[in-house]
Amino acid sequence: MSSYAHPEALVSTDWLAEHLNDPDIRIVESNEDILLYSTGHIPGAVHIDWRSDLQDQTVRDYISPEAFAELAAKNGITPDTTVIFYGDKSNWWATYALWAFRLFGHEKVKILDGGRDKWIAEGRETTREIPKPAPTEYPVPPKRYDDEIRAFFDDALAQSRARKPLIDVRSPGEFIGEITHMPEYPQEGVLRGGHVPGAKSVPWKRAVNDDATFKSADELRAIYEGEAGLKPGDDVVAYCRIGERSSHTWFVLTYLLGYENVRNYDGSWTEWGNKVRAPIEKGA
Amino acid sequence: MYPPKLQQIVDLFEALPDMEKRETLITYADQAKNQGPREGETFDLEDVRKDEECTDTVGVFLKVNPDRTTHYRVTLGPQVQTLTKAMTAILCKGLEGRTIEEVLAVPADFVPKIVGADLVRQRSQTVYYILTRMKSAATVWRNRDRAAALG
Repeated sequence: MSSYAHPEALVSTDWLAEHLNDPDIRIVESNEDILLYSTGHIPGAVHIDWRSDLQDQTVRDYISPEAFAELAAKNGITPDTTVIFYGDKSNWWATYALWAFRLFGHEKVKILDGGRDKWIAEGRETTREIPKPAPTEYPVPPKRYDDEIRAFFDDALAQSRARKPLIDVRSPGEFIGEITHMPEYPQEGVLRGGHVPGAKSVPWKRAVNDDATFKSADELRAIYEGEAGLKPGDDVVAYCRIGERSSHTWFVLTYLLGYENVRNYDGSWTEWGNKVRAPIEKGA
Repeated sequence: MYPPKLQQIVDLFEALPDMEKRETLITYADQAKNQGPREGETFDLEDVRKDEECTDTVGVFLKVNPDRTTHYRVTLGPQVQTLTKAMTAILCKGLEGRTIEEVLAVPADFVPKIVGADLVRQRSQTVYYILTRMKSAATVWRNRDRAAALG
């Protein structure tokens, strides 16, 4: 049985329960359910919202390095702080927040395996008390690592034309073009359905167990290498609808399977499916 | 403009600053679990389903009295979002005792007044869902009533 490439990227609920007061960590909750944090959260956890905190509120882009530094400082984070993310929906939004932190070069990041669901299911302590960490000085990151871990439309198009690996992590119905948004979620304005030519379908949720923990390394390899045909060393682009689900797959490939060249195409289908003359494949 | 009990809730929220609005929404969300059918209650219409617009199953139970006043009960699956839970408790209280026609006439523009424009913008599918389901049940009941009247 093989192990994760970077097992240190995960912490267990047991471990976190014993390290809640460690001064070198900051626990960050990031959810789909915008009010969930306020109903009770892990003691000491701060809340970072994927939309209002991490995204620019005017342009479709992420916040600036200056705004990131301000966000980190406000939440008591320094470049040496290990940030442990967790959230609802099997850590879907937590991995999105983690990916956004990596965009600004924050390297010390981990995920609570099982996320909020597992913590609650185990009956562990929660609180409604909002922590007030002492503000820090977080230096403005010299750059945003867009080139390294983020793909744009032209990158995804080049990937498709070169027949290099593209992983479509949306639901099967979205992949084959029957629907343009995932079940349970709103239509965000996509004119065409289907997928990027050459993309393989691996819905993001296949990477997690029913208790929201990640599947074993062997199981993940069977899915991404056995079924989808990825090979260690591949240059991979993952996409979904707006880049949130694919950040989960980005985490799995990067940290759990050790792929070194994985980029998240956050424009994803809401950009591709609206782009005039963008090539589209339909069907399985 | 709105049914009196709903108007009271709207007035309460409009007077609150954003943070207290959220706290009050959570208080209402906590009450959602009490909005389900009680033992011995019977209903004229039961509509339990899982829609694309919501993350879990929602059941709407409607009792219509001879004077056409309504009594709603709502059940929510465990994955339903907090805002949906809050709107459930608000609407069950706010529409209690209103007639079928009054329920159908409730404009949706009270929602931003309660939830705040920011949350509506960010989670529009969540905040309108329960009102839509309650109106849908009212429409079905009214159509059946009209069909019955026609013989």
